[in-house]
Amino acid sequence: MLKRWFTRTFLHELDLWSGTAYLLCLLILLPLFALLLGLSQRGPMWEHLADTVLSGYVLNTLWLTASVALLSVLMAVPAAWLLSHFDFPGSPLLEWAMVLPLAVPTYVAAFVYKQVPEAAIPLLIHIRSTYGVDSYLFAEGFIRKGVLALFMAGVLYPYLYLSLRAAFMVQRKGMIEAAQVLGRGPGSVFFSIALPLAHPALIAGISLISMEVLNDYGAVYFMGVPTLTVGVFRTWTGLGDLASAVRLAGLMLLGIVIVLAMEGRHRGRARFTETANDNSTPLLRRPLSRRASIGALLVCLIPLTIGFIAPLIQLLYWAYLSIQRFGNTIPWQRMGHSLLLALGTACVLTFIAVILIYAQRLHPVRWLRQPIRLAGIGYAIPGAVVAVGVMMFLGFIDQRFPYYTFIGSVYAIGFGYVVRFLAVGLHPVRAGMERVCGSLDAASLLGHSPTHPPSRINLPLIRGTLFFRRPC
Amino acid sequence: MQLKQTFYLTFICLCAGILPANEPLVVYSHRHYAADEELFASFTESTGIPVHVLKAGANELMERLKAEGERTRADILITADAGRLDEAKAAGLLAQIHSEILKTRIPEPYRDVDSQWFGFPRRARVLVYAPDRVNPEELSTYEDLAHPKWRGRLLCRSSNNIYNQSLLASMIAAHGEGPALNWARDVRRNMARPPQGSDRDQLRAVAAGLGDVAIVNTYYLGLLLHSPDPRERALAKTLRIFFPNQQDRGTHMNISGGAVLKSSSQKDNATRLLEFLVSDQAQEVFPAVTYEYPVVEGIEWSDLQKSWGSFHADDLNLSQLGEDGRKSVQLFNLADWE
Repeated sequence: MLKRWFTRTFLHELDLWSGTAYLLCLLILLPLFALLLGLSQRGPMWEHLADTVLSGYVLNTLWLTASVALLSVLMAVPAAWLLSHFDFPGSPLLEWAMVLPLAVPTYVAAFVYKQVPEAAIPLLIHIRSTYGVDSYLFAEGFIRKGVLALFMAGVLYPYLYLSLRAAFMVQRKGMIEAAQVLGRGPGSVFFSIALPLAHPALIAGISLISMEVLNDYGAVYFMGVPTLTVGVFRTWTGLGDLASAVRLAGLMLLGIVIVLAMEGRHRGRARFTETANDNSTPLLRRPLSRRASIGALLVCLIPLTIGFIAPLIQLLYWAYLSIQRFGNTIPWQRMGHSLLLALGTACVLTFIAVILIYAQRLHPVRWLRQPIRLAGIGYAIPGAVVAVGVMMFLGFIDQRFPYYTFIGSVYAIGFGYVVRFLAVGLHPVRAGMERVCGSLDAASLLGHSPTHPPSRINLPLIRGTLFFRRPC
Repeated sequence: MQLKQTFYLTFICLCAGILPANEPLVVYSHRHYAADEELFASFTESTGIPVHVLKAGANELMERLKAEGERTRADILITADAGRLDEAKAAGLLAQIHSEILKTRIPEPYRDVDSQWFGFPRRARVLVYAPDRVNPEELSTYEDLAHPKWRGRLLCRSSNNIYNQSLLASMIAAHGEGPALNWARDVRRNMARPPQGSDRDQLRAVAAGLGDVAIVNTYYLGLLLHSPDPRERALAKTLRIFFPNQQDRGTHMNISGGAVLKSSSQKDNATRLLEFLVSDQAQEVFPAVTYEYPVVEGIEWSDLQKSWGSFHADDLNLSQLGEDGRKSVQLFNLADWE
């Protein structure tokens, strides 16, 4: 049966596009396969880890993920609801400004927010002298971990805000209007209709935030909350046990696959909620009273301040101090490296995404769709875990390919970025291609063979989506 | 930007990685100080040998060297501690260097017994205390920090940090694994907060009154005293340094050191660079700019270092730190020292 499928279907459909797409998918997935293989290996330190620090890593990870998810819900849900349904002073500006915290990496926020536990030292000293060391240690942990969860939610809530706002915008006016006519108050409409309708968006946003929390290394290390990601690095570099580090990374990978599968199932079941009625018009924004406007502004400004305004002000102040004392020493070379790496990776990613999606358009079959979908899974995997997989894979190549050393080269980090961020490229290219689906046929009508490079017809049409990342 | 241009840019980015660089003497360095760049520039000026430096974390450099093996372009490895150099030695990456200059100028504890790596600046891991809350007579040794009188008063960074791993390795060398584990467990219990932040953060926390004593490297106090932030400079002025174990083995020392790689095709030039780093000209830079101690005897300390006073340094051969380094991470795990 497999042989028949292989000769009649696979080979029949195999051409330059699908072949290249297959090879690319394989290349991107190999580091992750290497990780899964590593799961079966037991490193010399595994027993030691299981006896000592493993439970702490798992508990810290679960606690932090849950806290950041909860705080993000509290920050994003009211803001998304207000900005999609009401008109108040500043709302047009806030509508896009609420996304700005995405520009602040969590470890940069950690440098800024470590000052909060430092500022709380007089209070902690008072607690220690009044209630004893144990109460003090509890309070210290509470403040430090609370601040960590708060600022992480502050920089990550836009993921949830974006998906919720999109969901709120397409909600059917009729349903909400009907509820209002039937005597439901605004609160009741929100809790009993709008929020349940936006349930899939809520779950999708929370999943993205949870993955970002799992991905973080700098902030949790700096704030003294060692999670599994810290454990992967410590086991690898501190204990020198790559096999156990791979096992830890593989455990995280399994957890993420389970979360994604649950999210996918949930989305599948709740798909009806996402279908917008074409006849419905988007909700008109209702103006708010002056008092309510002040409340709405506060609800939006608090998360924006935590995630963007406060870190920006602090960083500008530090830059001012540094320039004042040491002169204008801008690290142009490092900035150039960052820019070149980011730009180079973005171009390569887009290039690969176009090949994959175009191949999929030419061959709309399951056996190509699934590998491409799977190749985007890196976005759900912490960078540290991807790094371990890439190191294992490239280490294998380096041993057998004596002419060039990939580990430590710019290609290794570029490859790691491609594995991790392919989904970010796939999504807009796919969305763009879907929007211009008719032009593929038009291209054929104009005399282009389907296997002709897509540069003449399709690419110019989807140019807009290639340059701007859309939220996943 | 047109799409075509985008794809040309992709091509250029891909090519940029394989263009041959002008690479005379290649140094893989874990040190991130502007002073080092000045030193390399002086070396180039006096010898005509250009130096190309690649900076990265110690672990990344080690992994890269192991992966590159014989094919590495690197001639010299520089790290911020002896443990990593010993790891490179154990991996068979380093060349044995027979240099009278290195041998005579660097005291025995600060170079490898097999002449495979050499220390340049020395670092002392000391106790920094708040004089308004701690009488210096209360302080004596690292071992004393395990005493219950310090409950809720100590500050130290995470055990992920190599300086802590080396300190514990020196405790293993002095007392054996069991007592070293008990010490780590008791010191962790005495901490004013779970380990977090950098050495500088511990200093700020002592100045703010959260803890009374911090275990840090001396030069971090120097860096804090010269911080761009006036508040930090004011905080640093309130702190004092205590050199522990003066009555017995001495204060724990580490080095920043370098080694010539076995695969280097320019071993002579690489050795010349190492010799330059122990010259008077180079050694005088460390106390003045990075607040580290020179490894060569007779080099004048900075005024700041003089104000901290002279001290008796542990003469444990630092080769020992590499052997006990991995073990110390296990002991930290057992001691719940995060």
